[in-house]
Amino acid sequence: MKQSLRICHLYSDLLNLYGDRGNILALMYRAGLRGIDANVYTLTIGERFEADRYDIVFFGGGQDAEQNIIRRDWVGVKGDAVKAAVENDKVFLCVCGGYQMMGKYYREFEGEQIDCLGAINVHTVAQKKRLIGNTVYRCDFLNESPAKEVFEPQKLYGFENHSGRTFLGEGVKPLAKVLAGSGNNGEDGTEGAVFRNVYCTYSHGSFLPKNPGITDHLIEKALKNRLGEEYCLEPAECKTENIARKQIETCKKGLTRA
Amino acid sequence: MKSFRTTAALVVAGTIRTVLRLAGKGATNLPGKIALRICPSFLSKIAYGKNVIMITGTNGKTTTTHMISEMLRKSGYMVATNVSGANLAAGLATTFAEYRSRERRAVKNRVPAVYVLETDEAAFAKTAGELNPSVCVVTNLFRDQLDRFGELLTTRKCIEKGLDSCNARILLNADDSMISALQKDREERVIFFGLDEAGMTRNIVTNTEDSGSMKPSSDAEYCLKCKKKFIYTARSFGHFGIFECPSCKDHRRLPQYAAYCEQEKAPNDESTMILKKGEHIVRTSLPIMGVHNVYNSIAAAAACVTFGEEVGDERLTIDFCAKALPDIRPAFGRMEKINVGSKSFCILLVKNPVGLDRALCMVSEASDVGGLYLLLNSNIADGTDVSWIWDVDFENRTFPDRLYVSGERYAEMLLRLIYSGAAPENIRSAEMSQCEKLFEEALAACPDGKCLYVLPNYTAMLALRKYLVGRFRLRNFWK
Ligand SMILES: [Zn+2]
Repeated sequence: MKQSLRICHLYSDLLNLYGDRGNILALMYRAGLRGIDANVYTLTIGERFEADRYDIVFFGGGQDAEQNIIRRDWVGVKGDAVKAAVENDKVFLCVCGGYQMMGKYYREFEGEQIDCLGAINVHTVAQKKRLIGNTVYRCDFLNESPAKEVFEPQKLYGFENHSGRTFLGEGVKPLAKVLAGSGNNGEDGTEGAVFRNVYCTYSHGSFLPKNPGITDHLIEKALKNRLGEEYCLEPAECKTENIARKQIETCKKGLTRA
Repeated sequence: MKSFRTTAALVVAGTIRTVLRLAGKGATNLPGKIALRICPSFLSKIAYGKNVIMITGTNGKTTTTHMISEMLRKSGYMVATNVSGANLAAGLATTFAEYRSRERRAVKNRVPAVYVLETDEAAFAKTAGELNPSVCVVTNLFRDQLDRFGELLTTRKCIEKGLDSCNARILLNADDSMISALQKDREERVIFFGLDEAGMTRNIVTNTEDSGSMKPSSDAEYCLKCKKKFIYTARSFGHFGIFECPSCKDHRRLPQYAAYCEQEKAPNDESTMILKKGEHIVRTSLPIMGVHNVYNSIAAAAACVTFGEEVGDERLTIDFCAKALPDIRPAFGRMEKINVGSKSFCILLVKNPVGLDRALCMVSEASDVGGLYLLLNSNIADGTDVSWIWDVDFENRTFPDRLYVSGERYAEMLLRLIYSGAAPENIRSAEMSQCEKLFEEALAACPDGKCLYVLPNYTAMLALRKYLVGRFRLRNFWK
């Protein structure tokens, strides 16, 4: 029987900046390599979140104005259902603003403290200076992934553009260690967060296209939830992705050191 | 009175320019940079009492500037203008230094002079007050170089700051909700231009509404004030359209200057175009293909007529502009078609998502496509973040069989094409150092009678252009 992957794209009409759409395209493409049909469901303001309808949920970043529009709906309309889904091990990928909104609160620069969902134990404090630039991280669990022969498999490549500094609380592990760039806060050398099956990062757009290891890891996790722990994603090559990864290594001049 | 410092700055800038020119370099920034260092108030001193028109916004600046310049030239003005890309303070200062003697001669011969200056949005915040233009054109606001500006609203604030530091008449794009809202508290200075409603229903072949689950990105779907989703009764492209906020009822204003093309599909360079100033209607033809050039045309015409009103030049009417438009050739890197024997190539600078989206849309619809060559660099002038290409709708476009990619970040573009469904065996790729060779290969493979479309971003275009100037004996771009 042909498998399917059901992807939920949260607030796709509002959070569409910095190429985050590339992440959805990557999930679709790499699922497609295994003959898995990927279907994307968009969910916007006013619509209820029904976890059973999706295998994986993507929550991207946007500009402050748009994130303010979303926050009320996120906490008020979708909040309880999302929290329950997190506790039930639903797979989430949250980038930048989405990452911040999964956490407990966001304190504006010289402004107020805004309550966020609190689904994971992290909080964010904004500062005036934005952290912008190309990034490289090291992610240990990527050694085993259904993506075959990834060039430097443990490395994650991305681009960050955020004014918020995020700090991890108890029970939350960092996604990776910063090799180049600022990561969570520019201080503790951590990048992103993992809590149950919630994966968070500050790496914007084309995070998944450039990192097929984590793409396949997420697809497999998502399908295991529905098909059972014994389900394994077939291995698949990453020829084109590897060209892009190698080229970033040779273009390192654009990378800022942490 | 010019101060000693201003004079010294002028002399030094002039000398440097001459030396650089003799050395074969386009001196578009350095002379002005040094002039500003010698005399920090150089711009306000040199521009004092001169006619200045400034053009800012994220897309279409170069073409609009070029169109205004050509129209004013045709009506007998000595037009001083900056070259594309030299649109920061240093580039503006260089332009003033460069045209100094020509302007003097013009004044002597009773020829009116005008400076038509495309200005970067961040530079606009500082220079508009110094140059005190009589007319400012704000083309639009799309995401562009967010690694530099951080956010779109920061860019908008720069524009606001510039507008409030001068007394210019302000021409705003009515169809862009982010721009048209700038009229608030500036009502008596603002004039709107836009696509006529007829154009939104006729000229638009790509409706963002029916692209399935992966809608291409739009920059301003929500009212900034009420955070409610705009209701659109018609759309052109991106977030342009006839919008209304269901809550505060803020809505698209009827543009005093409007345009559209007559036929039922995407306008090309032979399309009949209708220009309207209020009730007055005049027919002309669109000089450069693409619906975004309908916007540039009407913005330019509106700017010329408004400038005429400001300086009391009655020859500058909408009819005059309509007559001047068809002869205008594309500006540097904006759809110049260059014939090579029985085939041609065409360069289209793409710097940001909406620019690439428009270019791909045009290539998809053009009947003469003999190949598509994309080049992606990530230098500071390009933006160091290349992820914007993922915001562009490749999925709903038709690509030619022959695809080529190069640039320092060509692999990201290769990945983008392959993820959108392009067959890897149809794509040839090469490092930036081999981009010229790949161009030759692409041109050789282009069938007779067809055109190779080349879409580079900024520094990739400069590099390729340099090669092409020598190879095809093109005019140097800074001339
Ligand atoms: Zn409103």
